[in-house]
Amino acid sequence: MRRRVCALLLLISLPLCLRAQDLQEFEKRVTEFTLGNGLHFILLERHQAPVVSFHTCVNAGSVDDPKGKTGLAHMFEHMAFKGTDKIGTRNYPEEKKALEAVERIYDQLEAEQARGPRADPGKLAALEAEAASAVEKAATYVDPNAYPRIIEENGGVGLNAETGVDSTNYYYSLPANRVELWFLLESERFLHPVFREFYKERDVVRMERRNRVESDPEGKLTEMLLATSFAAHPYREPTAGWASDIEHLRVEDARAFFAQYYVPANMTIGIAGDVRPAEVKRLADQYFSLLPSKPLPHPIFTVEPRQEGEKRVAVETPSQPFLAIAYKRPNQIEKDDPVFDVISGILDAGRTGLLYQQLVRDQRIALSAESEATFPAGRYPNLFLIWIAPSSGHTVEENEAAVYAIVERLKTRKVDAQTLARVKTKLRASLIRQLDSNEGMASELAFYYANYGNWRKLFTGLDEIGRVTADDVERVIREYFTASTRTVAFTVPPPAPSEGASQ
Amino acid sequence: MRLRRLLLVPLAATLFAQGPAPRKAEAPSYQELKFPPLPPLKIPRIETYTMTNGMRVYLLEDHELPLVSGLALVRTGNLFDPPEKVGLAAMTGAVMRTGGTRTKTGDQLDTELDDIAASVESSIGETSGEVSFSALRENTAEVLAAFHDVLTGPEFRPEKIGLAKVQMRSEIARRNDDAEAVAEREFVDSVYGKDTPYGWQVEYATLGRISRDDLVAFYRRYFFPANILLAVYGDFSTAEMKTRLEGLFHTWTDRQPPVPPFPPVLAKPNPGVFLAEKEDINQTVFYMGHLGGLLRDHDDPALEVMADILGGGFSSRLFKRIRTSLGYAYSIGADWDAAYDHPGLFEISGSTKPGNTTDAIAAARQEVERIRTSEVTGAELETASETAVNSFVFHFDTPTKTLARLLRYEYYGYPKDFIFQFQKSLAEVTRADVLRAAQARVHPAEMTIVAVGNPREFGKPLTALGLPVHPIDLAIPPPQAAAGAGE
Repeated sequence: MRRRVCALLLLISLPLCLRAQDLQEFEKRVTEFTLGNGLHFILLERHQAPVVSFHTCVNAGSVDDPKGKTGLAHMFEHMAFKGTDKIGTRNYPEEKKALEAVERIYDQLEAEQARGPRADPGKLAALEAEAASAVEKAATYVDPNAYPRIIEENGGVGLNAETGVDSTNYYYSLPANRVELWFLLESERFLHPVFREFYKERDVVRMERRNRVESDPEGKLTEMLLATSFAAHPYREPTAGWASDIEHLRVEDARAFFAQYYVPANMTIGIAGDVRPAEVKRLADQYFSLLPSKPLPHPIFTVEPRQEGEKRVAVETPSQPFLAIAYKRPNQIEKDDPVFDVISGILDAGRTGLLYQQLVRDQRIALSAESEATFPAGRYPNLFLIWIAPSSGHTVEENEAAVYAIVERLKTRKVDAQTLARVKTKLRASLIRQLDSNEGMASELAFYYANYGNWRKLFTGLDEIGRVTADDVERVIREYFTASTRTVAFTVPPPAPSEGASQ
Repeated sequence: MRLRRLLLVPLAATLFAQGPAPRKAEAPSYQELKFPPLPPLKIPRIETYTMTNGMRVYLLEDHELPLVSGLALVRTGNLFDPPEKVGLAAMTGAVMRTGGTRTKTGDQLDTELDDIAASVESSIGETSGEVSFSALRENTAEVLAAFHDVLTGPEFRPEKIGLAKVQMRSEIARRNDDAEAVAEREFVDSVYGKDTPYGWQVEYATLGRISRDDLVAFYRRYFFPANILLAVYGDFSTAEMKTRLEGLFHTWTDRQPPVPPFPPVLAKPNPGVFLAEKEDINQTVFYMGHLGGLLRDHDDPALEVMADILGGGFSSRLFKRIRTSLGYAYSIGADWDAAYDHPGLFEISGSTKPGNTTDAIAAARQEVERIRTSEVTGAELETASETAVNSFVFHFDTPTKTLARLLRYEYYGYPKDFIFQFQKSLAEVTRADVLRAAQARVHPAEMTIVAVGNPREFGKPLTALGLPVHPIDLAIPPPQAAAGAGE
């Protein structure tokens, strides 16, 4: 999810003179169409090399996890690699029966667990043993990892998926002669998914949380920052899921999530590379028209109430310190969105950013100091984030004070024209630098359509950046960078053992 | 487009149901798909020549985007660090750029380059150093001038040496915070040993001894034209770029004796289990393996296939068994990580729930044993070879990949067409070859096993593996009174 935010930052600004021309030139190579079921395709032709990249963006992420089932969007993403009724099975009719048996035992197990203190330990142990053997029986019908194996054998590279807060993304690249294989595999994955090996994969997903959150001080701090900052909106819940939620996810949860959110009109497909529009249309029609059309799921109606007062959270860790300062900000379609991008460019633009110059270079109190304009994602009101790793021997307090000094100065002294121009130029160049990447463009075109309803926003968003003035920067800093809408998360060393015992 | 589709779908279902080609309700099976051959590979033309001062130049025109980029590849590396000043190469690489040039401070360069969205960066790694640049085409002259000045006349201003020391000290202080990084570092250092620079690391003490004079001397020894390969790529005309480079670099005539070869690897096998205790994590990270080989070894292709089948991807044995079937690990993989000029590493790495630590390591060891005792299956070999053959085109999907490869081959003395030779050998690997290579080069009894985690939660103790368990001391030697100057 961080990566997405970074990519967003990069995408922002062609100067007015160049932009219109670039967009026209670019537009000639872009084809888009929508199937009758609502599934939207965007194709960028790049015939430089016989390769094609594919990117499926589903407008469903951890923000859509049902209550008590955090981690479900992520769990489904893992299941999307398990194959279909034809791929990944040795005998589907038998496997289906075995999978149903697994579910029946898990139903009983769950019912017994739900009795809480009155649960019968002997019965629980027996059911767990029964569940384990049912899982093993179902596993005998599986051709493990057949789905990704077919992709790899056909020369697929960069195969992966990411569950984000707002969206889930699936992607890989193939040699250009195997384009049809992607259409077949991707449509089958969403037409006839089989949720096999669910409970083992649930353990893997639980492991992923250990890996990304529980064993990583930055992961822990991020999780506590969001849980503290948001009182109501589901941005407060971790994408990885809470451990105990993950451990109780069930196949029917994944099936219901799939039925509600993986509908054609809620998905966008970006394709970039050496393929002709006619072929893409023909194959899209042949394979993806089979997906039944369904109503669009609702967005989240919960609105985060206005924060009235600073929030602070300390996270104990024996590792070196980190500090996060986050200010509440509006969503990505509000008019001030580009101003936040410019502010992030003023604060964090490599060695000319104010954070680097003040904290790292001059005061030497930080090893690194970075900002992100949109965190954890942009569809709903979110956070402007400043993230600092203090240098050895320096504290989070020193760094916190230094950040506020920068913010306060921006409220009273207008940013100079040279800095503003530099920020805009760098954003424009960043966009140009990614235009020759099939993977990057397939992803960006799908992202911009999914988030703004038009891939051209990739370019026209730069117009908006170009129009941001020093007055806008000052106004937005004054309005949003206030103590009362701020959340500060920081690490502290754990108490000494004797102290801990008395607590 | 939307309108047409909306109309077509209901029409197809009703009026044209008897039409000549009714839409299939089901997709075909993937085995039924037929793929046309790929067009022959397009290899970009790279102009190569040597300037009168001895610098080798590689020019690649690519007009897709209005950008110009380049790279000076320098024969140096942290393998040349003096033992009492480990960190010298890395610091030289950093301060070359940040410390500014004769005419401009580093801060002035920062502003001037950022104003035009250009970059010049420098760094020195284990076996090479590099200075790189990138800019919009319209700023070619400015970026080349800055690149030239950083490459030929860095000033190493003291305040940036001071800044680099603060940064590097902070990195030392943080080096035990990331379990994955700890496990990898301890594995690499244990396998290569402390007798050669391959197993050394930067300490407060070695950092403290480094002075500006050391940086200047290190720079002078390695940064001279005959020791550099210069590549420039992007939106320019070759003739014009030649003229520009000639104008910029013809007066740079520094000479030094040829740079000696890198020190040899002298490591002996270091078998056993090495445990670094870390209580603030909720998983165990492990690495296991031993010294590997060179890319040019005759059995390298068979070993790459072996490692691929063992732990190369979603369909590998380790992934299928330890992740998919046992649900022990999120990450698990194996690599025959051959290097160009010295023995690389054969390594298996993964992370697991603390309670499964010993079982996961035992399962991985069994898979290592299995791959050297019986032949891989025909299906496994076919998957590995299909994967390699069909993804080959991705080595050529951008012109710069071809340039980067050529540069690396020249730097390490490999034939220009090495990738094609390698690909041919890869396609010819048989099941017997894989077994023979694994038996000759994979030695389970010699494996170094490193685990980072909390042993009180390991379920079964590591001693159940039947090997001696040695503790790793992660304590960072405290800073001493620094002898060095320059801050």
